Amino acid sequence: MDGAYKKKRSSSGNTATTTQGDMKMFQKLKKAAGVAAAILATTTMISTAQADAYPQKAITLVVPYGAGGASDLAGRALAETARHYTDEQPIVVVNKTGNGGMNGARFVTEQKPDGYTLLLSRVGMALYPAVYEDSPVAWDDYTFLGILESTPMILAVNANSDVQTVDDLIAKIKDSDGATTYAASGPTAIDGFSVQALLSDLDLDPLTASTLVPYKGGSALAAALLGGHVDFLAIAAGSLMPHIEAGKMRPLMVYSPKRMAALPDVPTAKELGYAQAGQVGGWSGLYAPKGLPEDVVAKWTEVLGNVATDEQWLDLAAKRGSTSVIGDDDPSAYVKSQFELYNGMAKKFGYIQ
Amino acid sequence: MWNELLFAFQSVATLPNFLAMFAGIWGGVIIGAIPGMTGTMAVTLALPFTFYLPPVTSLLLLVALYKGSTYGGSISAILIKTPGTASAACTVLDGYPLARAGKGGKALNMALISSCIGDFISNISLFFLAMPLAMFALRVGPPEFFMLMAFSLTIVASISGRSLVLGIIAACLGLLLATVGEDIYGSYRFALSEDMKSGLGMVPVLIGLFALPELIKMIVFRPEDNSQAMKLGDNRLTLSEFRGSIKSICRGSVIGVILGAIPGIGPSTAAFFSYSEARRTSKNGDKFGEGELEGIAASESANNGACGATMIPLLALGVPGDVITGVMLGAFMIHGLTPGPLLFQNNLGEVYSLFIGMLFSSLFLFIAGKLTAGAFTKISRIPQTLLLPCILILCVYGIYSIGASPFDVTVLLVMGIVGFAMMLLNIPAAPFLIAFILGPMFEDNMRRSLAISRGDLGVFFQSWISWGFFILTILFVTLTIRREWKKWRDRRASAQSAS
Repeated sequence: MDGAYKKKRSSSGNTATTTQGDMKMFQKLKKAAGVAAAILATTTMISTAQADAYPQKAITLVVPYGAGGASDLAGRALAETARHYTDEQPIVVVNKTGNGGMNGARFVTEQKPDGYTLLLSRVGMALYPAVYEDSPVAWDDYTFLGILESTPMILAVNANSDVQTVDDLIAKIKDSDGATTYAASGPTAIDGFSVQALLSDLDLDPLTASTLVPYKGGSALAAALLGGHVDFLAIAAGSLMPHIEAGKMRPLMVYSPKRMAALPDVPTAKELGYAQAGQVGGWSGLYAPKGLPEDVVAKWTEVLGNVATDEQWLDLAAKRGSTSVIGDDDPSAYVKSQFELYNGMAKKFGYIQ
Repeated sequence: MWNELLFAFQSVATLPNFLAMFAGIWGGVIIGAIPGMTGTMAVTLALPFTFYLPPVTSLLLLVALYKGSTYGGSISAILIKTPGTASAACTVLDGYPLARAGKGGKALNMALISSCIGDFISNISLFFLAMPLAMFALRVGPPEFFMLMAFSLTIVASISGRSLVLGIIAACLGLLLATVGEDIYGSYRFALSEDMKSGLGMVPVLIGLFALPELIKMIVFRPEDNSQAMKLGDNRLTLSEFRGSIKSICRGSVIGVILGAIPGIGPSTAAFFSYSEARRTSKNGDKFGEGELEGIAASESANNGACGATMIPLLALGVPGDVITGVMLGAFMIHGLTPGPLLFQNNLGEVYSLFIGMLFSSLFLFIAGKLTAGAFTKISRIPQTLLLPCILILCVYGIYSIGASPFDVTVLLVMGIVGFAMMLLNIPAAPFLIAFILGPMFEDNMRRSLAISRGDLGVFFQSWISWGFFILTILFVTLTIRREWKKWRDRRASAQSAS
């Protein structure tokens, strides 16, 4: 302690002995920096932070799913946009995959809560603990910084299918005695719950009324429907929109609070009166390890406030088929309600007692 | 069309595009050649840079990295018995014996030429056959995929070395190890720790199995001649040697293109498949595994052939087949391009520019490969006592850098000990590794097929693709049994006549 103090004093002594020319130079630079900062502040309307404030170095954003997927694109879009508001400190995206996203989530919760390791969270971070009681991370083991976007999901069939509406599909499911197939990442993944919630709303057994065929990742799921290897699926819009636009798939219903701008004629689950399916949907959030200091939380509230109105962010979100929802809900209340929703479903479907 | 092509040619033939491609290929070759560093890593690391480049330049950079690293894997496979990437696992079998015999340069030249030819053929197919191949790939559902994997597993018979029984044992162990972690339904197997829940990484297993046993052997047995460097003999590839392998190169390229176009298969399986086919049909088939140039040609032409072909489902359908094309899909989206049928309508200019750019990649690959392989050949002059510890350090750092995970390093070390034990027991490592790579695809597609049919085995015999692979599998297994039976009879007859 003492030594450190001495060191500090001697180093400040060194600066005192700098020549006057240096001082002048320094002041000039300071002035120039001040002018530059002022220009920056007036043109982009950002308040410049103090030199010693967070962030001082690059921030790592952990994406718990594979590169190129919907969550990865969301993470990279956030990193690209938020960089302009973090005093030009870059945000580095790292993919830590495995175990339904819980590997990356666990990694982040084990890091120091200093704001330099953050998690791009997905609905899975609430869904997994809702289904598995021995989840490595609980739904509230984080500091919630914000909910970023809601990603609608689409119930779709192959364009060659004779199914035209949701009612057609329901009739087909009922007739087939469990032989219809749907593709999903797994029974307890969000794209499995989307179908099971619909089946449960119809008073069918969510686990046996239709057969789940598991695939890994959004593009593999889409390919399964495209190749006609399964009858239907209900997965994230981002993985399906290109195929719907190309006329290879037929959208039947949207899992989203509002109709999608790109699909104005496709009804939402809520409109069709499906109580549970109407609440299912994907989202991304920004989490940090528990116990994040107040000033870091405040900084991110400010950064996300700026991101929310950033053209680039909104543009990238639209391209993914997502809607930005930054600031719409209190994050911890929202995540809690999501946890309870899926916990209730997991009990009803029989995954937990 | 010709107008658009000409226009695309003008727009792609710029210095930045060529620079990006050459840098990508050369960087890829070096990264691929370093054990533990993979093409996936190279592409993921390059992705942020592409945000600031024009779309065509950035895609060419990513493609170039992928191609370079797929070839680069063969350099370390030949020189230090460690496949830099999984797709070079079969290259080790013939490449390393050649290097030991002082023909490392010859082997490297063969690998380079077959890679370039494979790459060129796959680029041409991408240009002309993208749509038909993509439509074919879509028809490959879980049952067809399963049959294809069953056939691919018969390659074990080709790479078992002296004893088929030991090869089968190795393959079974590999299949068993592949079951560690989460299965497709979300249940856990052999998940002894939190890290094991997501399974064992392919790269740590690969490197541990191939690179570490040599090192452990040296520590345990302290051979007398360990300071001796490998001889450097004739390095030139003669025309007659090339002519002898041309059939395998062409066949390998076609196998690579067809398998590469099917999402989820990738260069490794194509290389194994092609190696096995070459061994079965070549007149030098019996010499495979002892240092046969044709083996290298078959394996290397197929993995680079598959490389360009993985772009087919990505561009034509918007379906990436593996992690690397997944990252490329992300790069497309960031630039506002949506791969799929609409890409050919809305962004034909970009598509043609990309295709034309890729045609140059074969040439760049040749130049970059020549330069790098030449420099790396000097590795074989370093005494083993110095070389192997350096390899160990590279491996540990490389593996750690993939996911910053100490668990991966543990897997590496444990697999090294397992590999050493297998070496002592004469159990071949290649069948183990190949079963480990193919295992998940084999199992997942079997379970998917049976889920679709609700347990009815008839699902495996519903299309001509499945039937085709089924018949091939049966044929191959029968031939292998007959060969083994003959060998056994001959051995018994000679034993009797001796007594």
